[in-house]
Amino acid sequence: MNAKLKETILNPIFKGNPITVLVLGICSSLAVTVTLKGALVMALSVIVVTGISSLILSLLRNTIPGRVRIIVQLVVVAMMVILVDQILKSFEATYAIDKQLSVYIGLIITNCIVMGRIEAFALGNKPIPSLLDGLANGVGYGMILLIVAFFRELLGSGTLFGLRVLPAGYIPNNLVILPPFALILLGCIIWVQRACDKDLQEK
Amino acid sequence: MNTNSNIYTVIYTTVIVVVVAALLAFVSQSLKGKQDANEKAETISQMLTAAQYGTKAELDKLGNTAKLEKYAQEIEKALVIDMQGNVVRELEGIEVYGPKELKRQNYNIKGGTNQTGEAELPVFIFRNGNTVVPVYGAGLWGPIWGYLAFETGTATISGAYFDHESETAGLGSRIKDDPAFQQQFIGEQADFSSANVFEIVKGGAPVGEDGKSLKDNKIDAISGATMTSQGLDAAIDTWLGAYAKYFTKSEE
Repeated sequence: MNAKLKETILNPIFKGNPITVLVLGICSSLAVTVTLKGALVMALSVIVVTGISSLILSLLRNTIPGRVRIIVQLVVVAMMVILVDQILKSFEATYAIDKQLSVYIGLIITNCIVMGRIEAFALGNKPIPSLLDGLANGVGYGMILLIVAFFRELLGSGTLFGLRVLPAGYIPNNLVILPPFALILLGCIIWVQRACDKDLQEK
Repeated sequence: MNTNSNIYTVIYTTVIVVVVAALLAFVSQSLKGKQDANEKAETISQMLTAAQYGTKAELDKLGNTAKLEKYAQEIEKALVIDMQGNVVRELEGIEVYGPKELKRQNYNIKGGTNQTGEAELPVFIFRNGNTVVPVYGAGLWGPIWGYLAFETGTATISGAYFDHESETAGLGSRIKDDPAFQQQFIGEQADFSSANVFEIVKGGAPVGEDGKSLKDNKIDAISGATMTSQGLDAAIDTWLGAYAKYFTKSEE
């Protein structure tokens, strides 16, 4: 694997993480991180949507008329989001989670990460790097989602993936369930990341 | 080729929209059967919850087939009645009324331009002595619906479960997510003689000497969700009003 491709994959996961560094996609990361299961399904959905939309638009990039490029992007992203939603609704195992995530699956279309990566990367690069860039950004987003959901489900419900891990005597902390706590956790994650990585520190 | 000419732009966007629309229509059609089956199982688990066959979480652990089997086992009689309280027909097999069908019947109850015919009101009588009827109405952001269980032959409510499409998370969504709200219904008496069959009271329902809510037709509304509470109140009044003749008949 050449260095540039490696950079494409690793950058969105650590140094250019869409949530902690670019601070995109905050809204949904507050809303869907109450349980790990919800966060996992959301993360996988976003990975699929960013990856495949980037691939399709990269394939079309030389044919898209400049004046309507945002509209073409929207059509493709919306199509992917609807497909994901329809498929989640069709399986017994994911139906309940789709109901729980309700509007947030549909709102992937407004997730800045998707459109941001298409504009910034897919329209100017070849299909394979674009696919990898999309997937990697989805993974970067999903990783943060899962870290936040891990703490919120553990402290807020005393469970992980619905299985009880803390003793029955543990009184769930209701603050952790409420959306503001996700912001506090995100702040802590950003703090840790900046403390470890000197390049991200502002003078 | 000039990708910025007007003709190219118009043709390009037309083609891409038609292709995407065709693909989505195809996918939607081919997955419809599976989605309907999931919705049906969901409706059944909501009715079983109202009829006190367990909590929603317990029932959701059953798979789709198990839910359908449980319903087939536990249902004694499922009827369709009209607004005069007369039995129109019996429901055969596993036929339930989910939100889509309830929406149609909601128009039929209210009359007006969207009416498609006489209202067909389902009544589900379960073997454990509970009779389940649906309610449907408008919340703050979208439709809300649910299932109320009565002790068969009386106006005493024995259970309730509500669902919604897009009420505010943490506020209006508590009609679905907060078991304590649904518990309030248990033991209350619907007043079929009045137009306000049931009331969800802002500021607190009257309490008895023991500090608990009286077993009347009033319960507490949800703080911070006035519009959803009012919508649910109206939905229950409309639907139980339509069932009033059936319930007053069976009491006699």
